[in-house]
Amino acid sequence: MKKIIYSMALSIAAIVTCSCHKIDNYPAPSETLQGNIVNIRTGKNVQSELAGNNGNGTRIKLLEISWSSNPTPLYLSGKQDGTYINTKVFAATYKMTAEGAFVPMVQTDGSGQTTVDQSQIVKVQGGTTTVNFKVDPFLEVEWVGEPVLNSDGTITVQCKVNRGTTDPNFQQDITDLWLFVSPTEYVGNNNYDPRYSTHVAYAGTTGDAITGNTITLTTSGGALPKKDLYLRIGSRINYGLKQYNYNEVKVVTVK
Amino acid sequence: MKRKIYLLLLVIGTIVPACKKNLDVPPPNIVQDKDIFTSTSGIMAYLARIYSEIPMEDFKWSPTTGFKNFFYGSPAAITGEAISRDQQNSTETFGYWADAYSLIRECNYFSETLPNYASNFSDTQVKNWLGEARFIRAFTYFALAKRYGGVPLIDKVLTKPGASIDDITASIEEYKVPRSSEQATYDFIAADLDYAFANLPETNQKGRASKYAAAALKSRAMLFAGSIAKYNNINLTSGADRLCGIPAAKATDYFKAAYDAASLLDGKFSLYKNSWSPTDKAAQAQNFANLFLDPSSSENIFIRQYHYPDAAHWYDANQIPHQLWNGGYSAETNPTLDFVEMFEGLPKNADGTFKTTDASGHYLLYNNVTDVFANAEPRLKGTVICPGDVFKGQAIDIRRGIYTGSSAGGIDKLVPEGSTSPYPTTDLVTSATDAQTAYTLPDGSKMNPAGLSGDFTSSGVAGCISGFTIRKYLDPNLPTANVTTNHSEQSWIEIRYAEVLLNQAEAGYELFSAGQGATYETTALTDLNLIRERAGATPATLGDMTSVDIIRTERRKELAFENKTWWDMKRWRISDKEQNSRIYRILNPFYSATAGKYFFDDRYDERNSRYTFDPRWYYEQIPASAIAKSTNLVQNPGY
Repeated sequence: MKKIIYSMALSIAAIVTCSCHKIDNYPAPSETLQGNIVNIRTGKNVQSELAGNNGNGTRIKLLEISWSSNPTPLYLSGKQDGTYINTKVFAATYKMTAEGAFVPMVQTDGSGQTTVDQSQIVKVQGGTTTVNFKVDPFLEVEWVGEPVLNSDGTITVQCKVNRGTTDPNFQQDITDLWLFVSPTEYVGNNNYDPRYSTHVAYAGTTGDAITGNTITLTTSGGALPKKDLYLRIGSRINYGLKQYNYNEVKVVTVK
Repeated sequence: MKRKIYLLLLVIGTIVPACKKNLDVPPPNIVQDKDIFTSTSGIMAYLARIYSEIPMEDFKWSPTTGFKNFFYGSPAAITGEAISRDQQNSTETFGYWADAYSLIRECNYFSETLPNYASNFSDTQVKNWLGEARFIRAFTYFALAKRYGGVPLIDKVLTKPGASIDDITASIEEYKVPRSSEQATYDFIAADLDYAFANLPETNQKGRASKYAAAALKSRAMLFAGSIAKYNNINLTSGADRLCGIPAAKATDYFKAAYDAASLLDGKFSLYKNSWSPTDKAAQAQNFANLFLDPSSSENIFIRQYHYPDAAHWYDANQIPHQLWNGGYSAETNPTLDFVEMFEGLPKNADGTFKTTDASGHYLLYNNVTDVFANAEPRLKGTVICPGDVFKGQAIDIRRGIYTGSSAGGIDKLVPEGSTSPYPTTDLVTSATDAQTAYTLPDGSKMNPAGLSGDFTSSGVAGCISGFTIRKYLDPNLPTANVTTNHSEQSWIEIRYAEVLLNQAEAGYELFSAGQGATYETTALTDLNLIRERAGATPATLGDMTSVDIIRTERRKELAFENKTWWDMKRWRISDKEQNSRIYRILNPFYSATAGKYFFDDRYDERNSRYTFDPRWYYEQIPASAIAKSTNLVQNPGY
């Protein structure tokens, strides 16, 4: 008789759980979305640091508007060289903008009116979709010549920092200038060796004097370790999240 | 066995009819409104709970684990006031959100339900209680606003009485209230506090809000709003609402509101000076230390009481100098030299840094370890235990090591100025732990290499790591047996009159610099000098009032280790400038065996612990779980 109780229980369980049987797997996303974040005036890619929890670099904002007018945004992290790629994107319609150390692509005035909207509506259907963004960086940082390995084991570099955008609303004071040094290529404000990197802070408007001039910076902390070191210059203005503008990463082999 | 099957059917048969509607009576074993809102004791129970939930950064606030927490570490170690073994560079990470809205709902529920039962009480009682609920709601909204900027403003209980789950699910979209602007949030807080001020009594029980607590909190919140309007550079808009940031044109209005709210307390409170003497520096220092422990202090405006064993904290166990510990933890808050240098009466270089060497670069030598601090500002001595200071009848013994090298012709710096390198091992006797072997000095006497309270070279030993340890709030009468977890019961002073004076001074100076009139400046100066007089510091003159920094520095000294500085640095928007790959400095006492004298070495934190403030932290990340539940919430920039 116990058997009857067990079989009753079993059949109840079978009835209850059969509703879990349906295959509800959705195919994995497989489309590729990629592109460049380009300086509108020079045509060159806008350099950045890695974005995410441990970085404050350029990122791509995706609003999937195929099913909701007010979706929760998705973000794609940009790479340091001003490109981005994601190979696992769902096919859908996206409203896309880029966020970083450049003039915001969407701006509103005090009454909530959208005054600037450079977002792009993109249909990701199949294969590879390329979406480029033309942006107006706050600062343009450039190398002048090549880094020089000094006889005392330090490295001296020369660079120039210029205003990028001509919009006075985004020409706040320059607050920092860094020579970032890192043993890995992912060098930037989120990843540098503080023993060797050099920092110059500017108070008030004093930082504005550096624009246009060739600046010479030398690594700190004496002789550098004998290995490949990655260097770049970063500078930022006192606006918003104070993201850095960078120049290209250069590698120097210290022997 | 067949019987069992019948029994099963019988059970099913009994359960099914129970779904009938007329059996849907409230369970008699659950407390209902009519049980709570008909008696004073019921109201007290309700109020006690919502008071206990107030999000204040007190002894039990840890930036990483939250409110009402027991933790090892020191919240002061995120601001640079101190360094700690168990707290590094960080922002708040626990995401205060859901608890806030639970508390706001409880306040709203109370405010809506109490009037239905008002006939049980006097008008004054009802008025006062409604004022308390508003005060707590304002406190909670301010806790949200200073973290997130604009937040959803919920001024009533959203669900209808007796609503079923189905009703609630059907109207779920209505409950997804979007964020209001940061300005609207501060205006809402101001309105709540005005209501609280009008309804609360002149005085109240300890731990409960009086009308002046509401005015004082308003001065704090409005000062915050004014600072955001003036100094913030971050912008986030959603529709017409500016969720992060307040228009700069509003700064003057908010500073005026802060100034006026502070003025409401004129003559109602006074700075604590019970054991103060105008001529005795030791008495001034003792008076400053007593202020945090005297329950009858005339300076207390709003406090949170603790009581062992039912509501205790463990501040003393965290902070006690190592030599007085009870074998558990100690010395979590180690004030930095950067903090100590702000005070007067110390040997200083021309640039204001602590002077440890003479013109030729040799260490200055002192006969006693206490000599260097002999003329220190009394408030410093009331806040910090310097090497050799007496606490609980013992001289607190802090020493980094014994220098055994020659002292003839002066001792050179052990490591070069500005170096982050470790100390050399030659000519230096140190100790890894508190189990030390005494060193024999040239005169034959014995001395431990490290002090009884540190510094020990092993990072795992709970000793001093900066040359200083904390005195503020530390209870000198707590028996060592009770210097353990969950045994401390001194009250937390959330709002004291000194802060209100500093609020008024800062708002006054900001108004003066915005061209609102010279009287604001003179009031600021008067307030500042009241604080300075009690502190035993030199009074300021109008000529000293060259920038708002003089008031900010005063505030950082006066309110240090009261968990206010972090928010001040944030609202001034200076955190990212102050903490940019920064290593804080410390002051290590050494004893020169050959000279028989002490010297001090100022250097960077030996752990090379670096602090960088990410500008995104000015607005905290709204917890992803909150956005998942309420999808209309817009995340703050950069997250």
